[in-house]
Order: sequence, then structure tokens, then C-alpha cells
Amino acid sequence: MSVRSCLLIIVGVAAVSALVSAQAPPDFSGVYRPINAFGPAGGGGGRAGAPPPAQRPAGQPLPPPTRTAPLSDGSRGRAADAPQLTPEYMAKWQAISKARIAGDTSSDNTARCLPPGMPAMMNMAYGMEVMQTKDKITFFSELNDALRRVYLDGRKPTQKTLDDPTYAGYSTGHWEGDTLVVDTIALRDNSYIEGFSPHSDQMTVHERIRFVENGILEDRITVNDPKALVKPWETVKRYRRAAPGDDQLREFACAEGIEHAK
Amino acid sequence: MKLRMIVSLVGVLAVIVMTRVGVAAHHSNVAFAVETVLEAKGVVKEWQWTNPHTWLIMTVDDGKGGKTEWAMEGRAPGVLTRAGWSPKVLKPGDQITVHYSPSKDGSKVGMIARVTFPDGRILPNAPPGD
Repeated sequence: MSVRSCLLIIVGVAAVSALVSAQAPPDFSGVYRPINAFGPAGGGGGRAGAPPPAQRPAGQPLPPPTRTAPLSDGSRGRAADAPQLTPEYMAKWQAISKARIAGDTSSDNTARCLPPGMPAMMNMAYGMEVMQTKDKITFFSELNDALRRVYLDGRKPTQKTLDDPTYAGYSTGHWEGDTLVVDTIALRDNSYIEGFSPHSDQMTVHERIRFVENGILEDRITVNDPKALVKPWETVKRYRRAAPGDDQLREFACAEGIEHAK
Repeated sequence: MKLRMIVSLVGVLAVIVMTRVGVAAHHSNVAFAVETVLEAKGVVKEWQWTNPHTWLIMTVDDGKGGKTEWAMEGRAPGVLTRAGWSPKVLKPGDQITVHYSPSKDGSKVGMIARVTFPDGRILPNAPPGD
């Protein structure tokens, strides 16, 4: 084989492998269930219902249920890994918490059918559906039928977008190997970072999303907010690809019940 | 006589309005003492399969020979479907035992922890493994 043929083969192989790696990011599409929806900072653990039958010894009576929902009113203070708020925003949190302990639900956006907003939306408590194309990846939350789009085609937000903040914000992303890197801006200031921690309109969210093992998707989230946070807040969410038979989300239609209650 | 009628009418309206407000004011965990779980035995009057939360209206013995009506708030239809519930899982007249967290304001409203049928079947408030 001539030196020239060898070179051609080497160049060819390199070109093909470069093409493959450039053209084949992982496909995140599918339905997922959260592994740590409420997270360690979520305010006190999961819901206690009856344990699944398989975990209960046959013939044994059920233990009494001890709790119906996570305690999210802040009456136990803030978790060690909760966002570290500046004094101004800590005062806001304390006011929200005081009202919630008294049973005031007006601070609860999702109970009022508003979108959960970024980054709290990525808790995906009731399940998540990911729809991916080359130019866009869409994350859908069953809770409140909330949706966010991440543009992958290189577009940048216009001034018009920046002047029109939303709950999900404006997200652009790119692939770094097998990791989707996403930046989100233009967020409304009346949603929460997590666990009713308030934020300003200067909040931005940076995410690195990848498969950490087969069927387990991980989102490493960093929240920046020079007005509300003493330092950037980091959290990690994980989701398991839904098993066959459990891989459909249901319509949420939140306003249905609100209308009914009027 | 007329005044009396008006007063009673206002009273009735106030009760209706207060009941509606009581239900509307919930939809959020903080309205309930979630660390407390109590038990109520009664009969299904109505099962409302609605978002964002379901509602089980039930009739409970008040312990004085009378009946009283309770509104028990359940989780969303999507998550309850995964826990084994459906729009038809509860029918008017069904005898049930409901474990619930009471409302902080003392109204006859609770948040469902689980529902148990006389034959021992259980409807939990979370899918297995959640």
C-alpha cells in the first residue's frame, strides 16, 4: 500500500468519526419519572401513602399513614443545601413562610394553575416528556402542563425576548460531546428557585444534562442571581426513563378544578 | 316575618359561600396539617375526577345520630391513575374509610392519605415506588 493510500484511509477514518461524533448526540426523547423530585432541599421527604403491596408482609395490617405531603411551609427552617439568600430575599422568604404556616395558599403559583417556572419546573414531580430534534429540545411537565423549549440552532434571544420575561424563560443550548449545555434567561421574578425561595428578574440558569447510566438522565443545575443569592446555587436532578405501561403522561387541565371551585 | 326570612336567607347564602370558599381556598398542602392523619368512616356522595386536585365528597356519622358532609381533597388524576385510581373507582353509596390530614382552619375539609374499602382493598395516594 502506498503512502498516499494510507494517508487517504487515515484522513477518511478521521473524517467519518468526526462526522459521527458531530452528528450523533444522544437522544433524550421519551417519558421519565423523577428520582428526587423534591430533592434534599425540598422540605421534608416524600408523600406517605400505603406502601406498595409487594413490600408488605402478607396478612399484616397496614401501618397507619403518617403524613400526606411534604411539609413545605418552612416551619422547620431552611435546609442546609437550600439556596443561600441575600438579606433582602431572606426577608421575602420569611414573609412567605409565615403566611404559609398560617395556611395562606396565595403564594403557591402551581396551586393557582400558574406554571412552576424554571428551575423549579425541572423537579418534574408528576413526570416529564422530552421531545428532541436536531434544532430544538422540548421538556414537558405533566404538573400544570408546563413546557420549555431549548433552541439548539444557534439563535440568540432578541431584545424583544429579553423585555418579555416568562416562567420558563428563554433557553438556548449546544452539545458538548454527550452533554447538553443549556442557558436560560428572561425569567419572571414571581416564581421560585425551589421550596418557595424567591428570586429576582436577574436570575439565570445554567444546566448540563446527560445520561449518567442507561435510562438515567441527570440535570446539573446552577442558578445565578446577583440580587437574591449570596452565591450560585447548585442542585442535581435525576430522572428514570419510564417503564413500558407507565410511559404516558396525562393531561393536567389545571383550570378545570379552579373553575369548579369558584 | 319578612325580616326573619331575609335573615335566614342571608344565613343560608353565607353558609353556601363559606363552603365554596373553604373548598376553593385549598389546592395547596399548607392548608392542611400534613403531619397529622385522622380516620373517617362514611359513604361516598360524589367523586370528582378533576384537576388540579380530585375531590371526594362523603357523608360521615357525626357521632350524635346525624350525618355530616366532608370534602376530601385528593391528588391529581394523573398521579392517582398511576396509584391505581380511576374516575369510576369510587361510586356514590360506597362504604369507605378515609385517612386524611385535617384542614388547619377546622373546616370539614381534609387531604386524602389513603382510602380503604370494607374488603381491605386500598387506594394509596402515591404510585408504588414514588
